[in-house]
Amino acid sequence: MRGLAGLTLLLAALGMPGAAAAEPRCVVDDAQREICLDRPAQRIVGLSPGVVELLFAAGAGDRVLGAVRYSDYPEAANDVPRVGSHTRIDMERVLQMDPDLVVVWASGNPQEQVDRLKSLGMTLYFSEPREFEDVASTLRRLGRLAGTEETAEAVAGTFQAEMAELEQRYADAPPVRVFFQIWDDPIMTVNDTHLISKAIAMCGGVNVFGHIERLVPRLDRESVLAAQPEAIMAGGMGEEDTTWVESWRSFDDLPATRRDNLFFVPPSSIQRPTPRIVRGSRIICDHLETARERR
Amino acid sequence: MSGADTGAGPLGDASSRSSAGLVPRLLPTLLLLTAIALAALLLAVAIGSVAVPFSGLWAVLLGEGEPLHRTLVVELRIPRALAAFATGGLLAVSGALMQVLLRNPLADPYVLGLSGGAAVGALGAMLLGLGTAWVSGSAFVGALLSTVLVFGLAHGTGSWTPMRLLLTGVVVAAGWGAMITFMLVIGPTERIPGMLYWLMGDLAYARSPWPALIALAVACAVVVPLGRSLNVLARGPLQAATLGVAVRPLEWSVYVAASLLTAAAVTTAGTIGFVGLIVPHMLRLLFGSDQRLILPASALAGGTLLVLADTLARTLIAPEQLPVGVITALLGVPTFLFLLYRSR
Repeated sequence: MRGLAGLTLLLAALGMPGAAAAEPRCVVDDAQREICLDRPAQRIVGLSPGVVELLFAAGAGDRVLGAVRYSDYPEAANDVPRVGSHTRIDMERVLQMDPDLVVVWASGNPQEQVDRLKSLGMTLYFSEPREFEDVASTLRRLGRLAGTEETAEAVAGTFQAEMAELEQRYADAPPVRVFFQIWDDPIMTVNDTHLISKAIAMCGGVNVFGHIERLVPRLDRESVLAAQPEAIMAGGMGEEDTTWVESWRSFDDLPATRRDNLFFVPPSSIQRPTPRIVRGSRIICDHLETARERR
Repeated sequence: MSGADTGAGPLGDASSRSSAGLVPRLLPTLLLLTAIALAALLLAVAIGSVAVPFSGLWAVLLGEGEPLHRTLVVELRIPRALAAFATGGLLAVSGALMQVLLRNPLADPYVLGLSGGAAVGALGAMLLGLGTAWVSGSAFVGALLSTVLVFGLAHGTGSWTPMRLLLTGVVVAAGWGAMITFMLVIGPTERIPGMLYWLMGDLAYARSPWPALIALAVACAVVVPLGRSLNVLARGPLQAATLGVAVRPLEWSVYVAASLLTAAAVTTAGTIGFVGLIVPHMLRLLFGSDQRLILPASALAGGTLLVLADTLARTLIAPEQLPVGVITALLGVPTFLFLLYRSR
């Protein structure tokens, strides 16, 4: 088994005599560290579902040898061998894969395990996309490290163009006050530094809880009633589970309920900082447009 | 509590029968437990989520072998197994001491609120986004702070009794518990899993086994010679005083020693439950209550239990990793109940 892996490596090394001579590929990650690879990464481990999705989008999907639980997009990511979950990594499996690049989720992976990976001499890329622009630049940087610049550039360019188009279309749209629910029991929303809230703002919406200091504030129903949102959007436990948003149906005092502005947003379209967020943003923009028509 | 003079174990009265005759059995018993501990350590080094063949393992132990096998065994498994052994040993010795000190079979290393203080320190450091060294350091400071707090409050203005110490500790622990819950509620969502793993106890936090191992060695050297005095103390302070034991200084040194041991354990791997409660009881059920045997045996058996539990935690549902606290309870509960059921 090990012999076979060694042979594969040897063949891979022999197969690209030209690439070995090229200058090192360097990028700066989201922790402001410079990462240089002498040749394109061949053996990549991604330590969050979002990171794996970004690697696939950047054209490096066939180099991803290890992923974590819930890495379910694109379809092919389901077949990537697992190295634990993003909250607890199986260090032995990571070592066994002998990766030349490990893409870490800076705020989501346990620090002590990331420290250990570093001390074992792994090359780490810390990923923490917080803006739409970061999604595009992450794609380009991962593409650079994996040597798939062309694919990455195309995907990043399309993403930027589509987002710019949305931004332009709704730049002067009349504001709609929105409450966006990402979890039920306890009710959770997001503040203005979250990508979901940035999508709402781009579509001409105003997040009624955007000013709260915490990234993911927990609320009670009273504070939602007091905020009087004109529209309510919510995810659910699955791609078609509308129970969270329907739970607001009985509150007639809410402008959102009176005007039937209770909208479901499929969680997969908006929950990860990946190119799929274009789809989520479009859904949010469409819902807000519906809300404006019902005035 | 009617069992105030029975030591701490359900079979505490065995000590009166056997304390004279136990010393000859001391050495063979400890040798047997050492052999079992070594076997457990070997198992922990041999088993992991990546299979290393026995020949590869042997090559590594001889200083050769494939680089991957070397890294797996030398960098990951050996330090982690040693850290698990030291942590388990520390917790079990500390638990045995607390049970004697408080003359209460329900006592464990955490009963006086030390784990709560450590947890508030560690979770506070995690909330502030500080590095792993800070998390360990804050846990240690929190544990000591809690110890001093309980010490000072239990002393109070009146006389000192184990009951008073116990009540103070339990109430301080409740206070820490409230703070922990508060921190979990206000904590950022992405940090909650890490905080929960710390609270459940996990050897992934162990960076180097050496501090805990040294603490365990020092603990054994200091505490084991006290065994005879502790045997007397377990039968009640009045009897101990009559027999010439300086009760108050002994009690305080036991309290300080147990606290330091627990602080070292918690700093290494978070608040691993159950080892400190159950290992001393198991040993008493098997061997009687002679502290001269129970204390060193606790170090060995506690270490063994945690090494085995951590091996299972790493491999049971690999590549997913369980917190080791789940396994200590799953292993310990049936074993303990079986021993208890079998005894009279």
